[in-house]
Amino acid sequence: MSEKELGKKLDRCLADSAVKLGAGLGLGIVFSVVFFKRHTWPVAFGLGMGLGMAYTNCQNDLRAPYLIQRNIKEQ
Amino acid sequence: MAGKILPVLKLATKVTIAGGALYVAYDSGLLGGSEQGSEVLGKAKAAIPPAVDEWGKYFGFELPAFPKIGFVPVEAWNSGVQSSISALSSGPTAVGDYTNQGLQYLKDLAK
Repeated sequence: MSEKELGKKLDRCLADSAVKLGAGLGLGIVFSVVFFKRHTWPVAFGLGMGLGMAYTNCQNDLRAPYLIQRNIKEQ
Repeated sequence: MAGKILPVLKLATKVTIAGGALYVAYDSGLLGGSEQGSEVLGKAKAAIPPAVDEWGKYFGFELPAFPKIGFVPVEAWNSGVQSSISALSSGPTAVGDYTNQGLQYLKDLAK
């Protein structure tokens, strides 16, 4: 992986983390208000889920060049 | 009869709201892969200024123009690292010089 590509991947990771954290926060707030009587824990749960999703996406993105792909012949 | 429908109706409304929020998040690609996420962020960034303008017009006040910051952390990072490391490496020498100067000054005072 060249340095430029790595830089682009890290940029994508950062942008994706921001989006996922925001989405997790928003959904956490919605669920907290609608179902859980305005407790704080759904917000924390949503943030955690967003962080986890962002981490996994980053991990898969950075590991992609090292995956061994199989050639599945068309039958 | 009506007393039994109301809680069910409330629950149904809540489920609709929460399910709708989830569906909107899924549909706009907020929960997809890295590329989708950065795409969505780009779209949101591009859509904010017109939205802020419209809100301003609706409420009848103008927000002050966002100051254009010419400093981009991404481009300044390398030079920042270089200058801090060179300062660290020349640190002991500089400290020694300043100490000597200070001692010299005190000696001159004591004469």
